[in-house]
Order: sequence, then structure tokens, then C-alpha cells
Amino acid sequence: MRLWAGCDVGSTTGKAVILDESKVLAGAIVESTLDPEKTARQALDRAAADMDIAPAGVEFVRLVGTGYGRLQIPFADENVSEITCHAVGAHHLDPKIRTVVDIGGQDLKAIALNDDGTVMEFAMNDKCAAGTGRFFESMARTFQLSLEQFSDLSLTSTKPVSITAQCSVFAESEVVSLVAQKKAPADIAAGAQLAVVRRVISMARRVGIRPDFTISGGCAKNRGLMQLLGQRLKMKVARLDFDPQLLGALGAALLARRKSA
Amino acid sequence: MIGAATRKDSVYLRWAARNWLRILRLGVNPGPARMLKIRKRYPWVSGFLKVNKLMARLMGERRGAYRQATGFIINRLIDALATIVRDIHRRRDRLVWHEDLVPPEILHAMGLMPFMVEMLGIVLPMVDTELGEAYLDEAENAGLPADTCTLPRMSLGLALRDHFPPPLAIVSSNSPCDGGMSSYAFMQKLSGAPTYRLDLPYRYKDDSAVDYYTNELVKMIDFLEEHTPGRLDDEHLREICTQRNRAMELELTLWDMLRHKPAPLGSDVVFLAHMLFFGLFPGMPQATKMYAGLVEYARQSLQAGGGIPDEKYRVLLWNPATLIFPEIFSWAESEFRATMIMEMLTFNRHPLIDTTSRRSMLRDLARIMMQGPMSQHTRGPVEYFFDDLFFIHEHYSTDMIWMAGHVGCKNTQALLGMMREKCRQKRIPLLTIDYDLGDSRVVSVDGIKEQVRMFMDTVMR
Repeated sequence: MRLWAGCDVGSTTGKAVILDESKVLAGAIVESTLDPEKTARQALDRAAADMDIAPAGVEFVRLVGTGYGRLQIPFADENVSEITCHAVGAHHLDPKIRTVVDIGGQDLKAIALNDDGTVMEFAMNDKCAAGTGRFFESMARTFQLSLEQFSDLSLTSTKPVSITAQCSVFAESEVVSLVAQKKAPADIAAGAQLAVVRRVISMARRVGIRPDFTISGGCAKNRGLMQLLGQRLKMKVARLDFDPQLLGALGAALLARRKSA
Repeated sequence: MIGAATRKDSVYLRWAARNWLRILRLGVNPGPARMLKIRKRYPWVSGFLKVNKLMARLMGERRGAYRQATGFIINRLIDALATIVRDIHRRRDRLVWHEDLVPPEILHAMGLMPFMVEMLGIVLPMVDTELGEAYLDEAENAGLPADTCTLPRMSLGLALRDHFPPPLAIVSSNSPCDGGMSSYAFMQKLSGAPTYRLDLPYRYKDDSAVDYYTNELVKMIDFLEEHTPGRLDDEHLREICTQRNRAMELELTLWDMLRHKPAPLGSDVVFLAHMLFFGLFPGMPQATKMYAGLVEYARQSLQAGGGIPDEKYRVLLWNPATLIFPEIFSWAESEFRATMIMEMLTFNRHPLIDTTSRRSMLRDLARIMMQGPMSQHTRGPVEYFFDDLFFIHEHYSTDMIWMAGHVGCKNTQALLGMMREKCRQKRIPLLTIDYDLGDSRVVSVDGIKEQVRMFMDTVMR
């Protein structure tokens, strides 16, 4: 069996997707370690295990690395930026997609796609954790909740409070202060979601928001965020029939297959 | 790929020796003792000793006539700077500070010594980014906001440290930006010198605006005649304007040659030439000689198949060039086979000067200043900015635009959204480089490279 793989080593998680000639066979997500090579290896091993193949028995025709750690994957045949990979992955799953916002663990990227799925334009914020997964982690930690519980809590809000801080560090102190003021936790949680939504929309506007619009990255699993985003954008946020956190790895695997086709 | 010419090949060594000779001549005139005093009084002079390092960075892997042209223009730069250092002493009784958008031709014709205040703010970060940082901090500590453009901020820092030669008078203008204007208010107070500010009207492309600005120049001359020993000599002005026209014709020839694919030269050479021509010695015979030399190098380069024979991309750099990373031009050539073909500060389409009368000369000088670097793009209706941008893009058949998004330039930062939309409509790939013109502590050179690589790897893939 001819196999291709994509490996996306992000700041908080490592992802891998394995393809054959026609379909996705497996995908896996692992926590990032300090060593990008090790993270990539663990993600691939986990994906291989899902296919009931011993890691040592897997050989890839071609493997493409992506994500911030892509340059440290020595066994990758090529490395490609995650922006290209998210665009390729989104276009493959839904060719109508024209705008992708990738909300990663520590960065935020807005990508405008051409009709053929290539990147027309992009904007990114990689120097600040505002509007990223790290922001939600700090918010959830403040409430001593898991990310999922935090998201569910925000959905019960009736009157989101305004959180002004754009910076994750200051937002955390602002939330502590709101808790001290006896604001309802659900309203604070919804306020935090709204702060991120505004940040995401602002970033997306830089590349021009054109339908269809979708979100990738781990934060796309945050139901509260997705609901608010749709409301604010006044646009349906397309849900791809695939784990949004694996979109970059999928794009990398597709590029690997395309190159050796 | 471009061949790997060694950093210290014969071309480099020849130009490096000439640069050293030019610097050493300062030991003869004004003489070693005077030179040591000047060095103590103006510590930035030592920065010029690093000029050969700058030349090596700019030369990169360039070869043939293109490499020669790079050495040549750096030699012209050090010659111009050395001349200024020499004259700081020799002509101190005629020294006038002027802003970069004030016509030095008139000061020369009045027998004055023009000292362009912004010159060091341009040159120091290019030579070594750390040379300017202390001046930036000085200005910030004195109250100039930290987000003011680094160019006026560095100039003010130099003035605050008393590292400028004292002026008889100051001539500035209301261009290009508020930061520049406020820095001159500080400088006037610091130096105690009488100051005249030229007022550039908002819409400046009609005849009444040109008349208005011409009258502004007349008032500036009156002011200078009142406060300095300078007197305007019409014949001298005519000689300067005639010489300027010759240089301008050669510059137009050079610009035309850049339309060839592959281009004979990159725009750093052309940019430096224009800066010297426009800001330091316009109308001087050395400017004409400089352009004649560059046209010859460009011709040789074209005959050899172009500056980068396997040119893959042509880039239009917009906004002030990345002073903290002047080798972006040669880096782009070797990394992406991309020639940065033209940039905003160079391509000023202005008329040749009508030398019939004093009024006609002043009128055309007014027009040149109104359409000069930055004036054209940071004042007046937004159409001036975009008309130029897209004209140059088409004229030079560039494949993409790199917007040097200098964080201190509020005027152009405000246009970024519109620029993105317009480029999108025209399907022109646009990269906005976040950086600061003269302060590598804001975004490092590696940070700039990373942004460019990301763009080339995704949008231009």
C-alpha cells in the first residue's frame, strides 16, 4: 500500500495525517514536546497505531512537514508553511471555501484563497497570544475549568460582559477583577469568547472576508466561539467534515501525495 | 542561481581601497589635528569607517557591472559624506540646517552650506543599526513620542546631544509628516537659530498651488538673506539648474534601462544615487558624473545579460526603504532571484527646470519639491499615492509589491487597508513588512526575512 503523510508540529500540539491514493486513513493529535522531531514522531506513531500498523512497519512515499516546528523534522521530504497547508486542506474538503482563519495555540492566521485553493493573501499574528488557544487556556484556568467546560459555560450567558484587554496576560487579570465584582461566570466566559471573536474578525478583515468562511485549528472545536463568530459575522461559518485541528496536517499530506503523483 | 562571488574579491578590494583613500584624505584636508577635533565633536563620523562593511552587504553575490555599480555608488556616498565633514569646519560660517524636502539648490546658489538634518538618520542605521539607537532614546526621553517616525526622532536625538554643527538658520517645511514638523520645533528651540517653515498646500498639483509654493520659496530666500550672509545669485542658480537638468536626463535614461528584463541593476543603487542627487548635491557636477557612471554600468550589465541573468521575479518596494536592512535588495536577489526594481523614494517624475528667469527656476524647483520623495505620498489626496504606486507597478512590470510597513509612518499606515483592497482588486500580490525604518529593536532583520520568506513561500509559491 502506498502511503503519504503530513505532519504539523504546532506550539501546543503535534498533528499527523496519513493518506493512501484515495482517502484519509488516519489522523492523530499529541501534546507538543520541546523537541519538534519527537513530537512529529509521536504524532505519526499514534496515527499509524490507529491503522493497526506497527510504527516501524510504516513507510511513506513522501512526507511533508508543516507548522512552526517544520524545519526540525529531519525525516520530512519537504517542509511547507502551515498557511499553504491549511489552504490546501480546506480547498480539498470544500472547494467553495475562500477564507480560512486558523486559530492555533499561539498564533492566529487569516488566509484568503484563490479559486484553485492557492493562497491569495494572508495576515498573521504570531507575536502575541491574544485571540489564540493560549488565551482560552488562561481563561479556563482562571475558572478552574477544562476548555470544553469553559466553552459550554459561555453558551449559557444572557449578558456577556465586556472584556477590554486584547492581551492575554492582562485579560486574565481583568477576569480576576470581574470575578471579584461578582459578575456571573457565564457572562465573563462569554465576554472572553467575544473578545476573541472580535480579534478574529479584525484579522480576517485584513485579507477580506469572502464566503465560504471557515475556521481551523483547535479553537474551531469551541462551540461557544463558533456560535458567536457566526452571529457577529452575519455569515454561516462552514463546518468542514473533518477534524479542524488536523487541517494543516491534511494539507501537508495532500501536498505530499500531489508531489509524488 | 547567481554565482558565489567572494565577499573580498578584486572588485570589492578595489572599491574598499578607494573608500579608505577618500576617508584618509580627510586627514589632509582639514588636517589630522582638526579631524581629531571633528571626530570628538561629532562621534557619528566614526561610523563612516564601517562603510566597506555596508558595501560588502550590498554587494552580496552580485557580479560584473552590477557589482561594480554597487561599489561605485557606495564610493559616491562616502565621498559626499566626507565632503560634508570637511565643510563642517571650512564653511561653518555659512551652514544652514535644512529638511530633506527643502531645495538645496537654492542654498547652494546663495553660497550657503546646506546641512540636511535627516541625512544621518538615513545613513547611520544603514551602516550599523546600533549607531542610531542612543539618539532615538535621547529624543524619546526629551518628550518626542516613542511612536514618532525614527527619522525625525534620530535627527532630534543628534541635535539634543549637540552632535550637529551649529546652524546660522533652519529651513524646514510642513512635509512629510507631523513627527518631522514637531522635531523641528524642538530643534529651533535647541539651536536658537531663526527658522523658516515652507508651507506646502494640500492639493498641490494645480497651477495656483505651484504659484503659492514658489512664493514660499521667495519668502525663504528673503528670510535667508536677512539671517545669513548668503545672497541669491541668479547666474549661479542657472548653472546649478542646468547641471541638474543634465543629471536628471541621465537619471531618466537609467530608469528606462531598469525596464529591461532582466534588469541591469537593483533599486538600492538607484535609490542611493537619487538620495545623493536629490538631497545632498543636486546641480553639482559630481551628481552628473555619478549618473553618467551608473548609466555606463547599467549598459555594461545589460550587454552581459542583466544584473541577475536568471531573474525570476520583479519587486516594487513601496515606502521608505528598509534602512536597518539595506541588503534586503541583494538578499532577495540571491534568496528568491527577485530584483527589487524600483521604490517609492526614487521614482519622482518631475520636469526639467526652465532656466529662463529666476521665477521660472524657482517655479520648477517648487514643483520638484512638491512632487519629491515623501511629499508626493504622505500629503495631499490619496490618489497621489495610489496613482504613483500602480503607475510604477505597470511601468516596470513588477510581479508583486512589498510594502515596507514602517510602524512610525502614520500617514502610510493609515492607507494600508485601502492599499490591500486595491491590490486585491488588481490581483497584485502584496506583502506588508512590519518593521521600523531605523530601529531594529522593534523588528529584527531576521524578523523581516521571516515575513518575506513566508510570503514568497505561500502567496508566490
